[in-house]
Amino acid sequence: MVKVLILLTALLVSIIRGGNANWDSHSAHIMPPGKWSVGIFQPLRFGLKEGLELSSHPGWFLVLPNASFKIPFADFKSFNTATKVSFVYPTPLLNMLSREGIGGIIDPNLTIPPMLGVSGSFIMSREVLRVNLTAKTGLDFGLVFGDLDTRSNIDLPIVYHRLEVFQNGWGWHTGLDLETKLIKKVRIFIDIDLRFIPDTGKRGKGKNYAMRSGDYSIEHKMLLIWEYSSKFRIMTGYKLVSGDYPYGKQTRLLPYIPFVEQWLPLIELQWLR
Amino acid sequence: MKNLLILTLLLLVSGCEPFVVDFSDLSTPKKFEAANVDLNSKTYQGGGIKVLTWNMRFGVGRFSFFGDSCGEDVIADEQTITQTMEAIAETLTVIDPDIVLLQEVDLGSKRTGYWNQVQYLLNNTPLNYGVYASVWEVDFIPTDGIGRVNMGNAILSKYEIGPSERIQLRLRTDQPDYEQYFYLRRNILKSEIPELASSSQKKFYAVNIHATAFATDDTKEKHVVKYLEILDDIHSDGHVFVSGGDLNAVPPGATIDYCMNDICEGESYHVDGIDPFHKEGSFFDNFIGEPDILAPLYQLYDPAIAEDFINLPEHYTHAPSTSMLGEDAIRKYDRKIDYLFTNLEWDDMSGHTHQACWELSDHMPISATLSNLTED
Repeated sequence: MVKVLILLTALLVSIIRGGNANWDSHSAHIMPPGKWSVGIFQPLRFGLKEGLELSSHPGWFLVLPNASFKIPFADFKSFNTATKVSFVYPTPLLNMLSREGIGGIIDPNLTIPPMLGVSGSFIMSREVLRVNLTAKTGLDFGLVFGDLDTRSNIDLPIVYHRLEVFQNGWGWHTGLDLETKLIKKVRIFIDIDLRFIPDTGKRGKGKNYAMRSGDYSIEHKMLLIWEYSSKFRIMTGYKLVSGDYPYGKQTRLLPYIPFVEQWLPLIELQWLR
Repeated sequence: MKNLLILTLLLLVSGCEPFVVDFSDLSTPKKFEAANVDLNSKTYQGGGIKVLTWNMRFGVGRFSFFGDSCGEDVIADEQTITQTMEAIAETLTVIDPDIVLLQEVDLGSKRTGYWNQVQYLLNNTPLNYGVYASVWEVDFIPTDGIGRVNMGNAILSKYEIGPSERIQLRLRTDQPDYEQYFYLRRNILKSEIPELASSSQKKFYAVNIHATAFATDDTKEKHVVKYLEILDDIHSDGHVFVSGGDLNAVPPGATIDYCMNDICEGESYHVDGIDPFHKEGSFFDNFIGEPDILAPLYQLYDPAIAEDFINLPEHYTHAPSTSMLGEDAIRKYDRKIDYLFTNLEWDDMSGHTHQACWELSDHMPISATLSNLTED
């Protein structure tokens, strides 16, 4: 059960930080003023005013303070463009996970210092042959205010490379999203994202103790979306993560339930007002 | 498009690899080779064959690991691992065994900085070939910050290693299901070494075991019975073996209760009404016959340390890494639980318990030399 929670949390963090897979949140389109959307695993998105969207996951805010702001740019060759700036303060959650016994994800002898994650993305969207296409790229910065022990890594898919930004100082992300209508009320969403942590050490000759190695992660998601109404939809699908880790390369299909050694489809509910 | 779909399907299938690796009764261990194989040493030139067994405690030395002592530490630092692994490699180089039976070798575990300890030892000792059978292979253990673990038994050899088997031992029955799911899958690692076979009919085997340490049911009995069965099969088929490992059992005639030696601060044992009465892994009379469980091995085969000497302090091989005699004095060793046997004969007085290595593990290596094989 603990493992399930970890993977679901990892998935949640991915969605919060990736910011894709909710109504147009992956795109350059901005939530109109006063409108909002929310999902079980997805953040609350709110149109603060014309040209400014705020998103955050309120359920996790106390242990994982996080906020993202999206503002539009001028259109570029029939593309809508926007920039998104995200902030996350993972220290309280990580220190909660640094504990003895079941649920201890980080060595209890280690204390995580104050850390601030800042991500900036440039997003371009347009419709091509009835497919909503979004491309994005950006930089992630990990600001650490103290000593961060390399042994505090969490060697799990999704989580490892996001936390590695704090060890490395910065990282780069890019991705492509596609969404289109399949039949009447059913849509399909497919994305692929790359996270790259430059200068991360490599295992091999002369480097046996490799707490920091494995510099990339590719994340792919496919969701089938049933639009029940203009205010509610249900999504199901999978997330596939393939990357290089301190222990080597690994591909993992999520959500994965360890005790029964089985993948289960991701199910998400989303509301829009 | 078709290729893309096939690739996606392959990735999806590969993404469903088990979180905890379970093993069939018989499986094939992983093989390794030194980066630079010494062509001179890989051929048997005659003379004695030196064999060594060592539970190397995943290369952390006397690190205060929380899982097997009164320690509180979890993930070892780079300096501890580097210094210990270098010292282990140097020790093996100085002792210069032909065959090494290792227990508790890490292969990409977070607690030891993801070292491939098998490959490191092959690259930094005169040993050329290795096989590895995992005892504990879990993607992520969500307790105490352990994370990923892969620990196992290994056989390293100067000579090429032939067909090898990982033989699964019975799991403990005294644990709840969730604990057993993440727990160890102990095994016996059996390898043929063709270079040392005296004829095509008389094969040479190395057999390595790490039996259960903490079981309070009859698991240890099952492990030793299985071990004897494997050795007896080799012997009755007319083949020869060198074998040993960490049997987690004391020799006949030894003290059977080490609870008070191993007690940690805040623990209570030998108190009526307090459960458990004995400390797990420190009491060697959990089932009828446990104190003499190794007697058949001594009756049937030649031990590296002769039976007359097995209970002498100079042949003790273990004490928990944080075991203390007083405020400052560490108890280095107080029992023998590691062994070497053969169905040939060890050279007289060649058996040696290397107690000088106490800083490198909570177990001491044992070595012995087989008589000249060509005279067999």
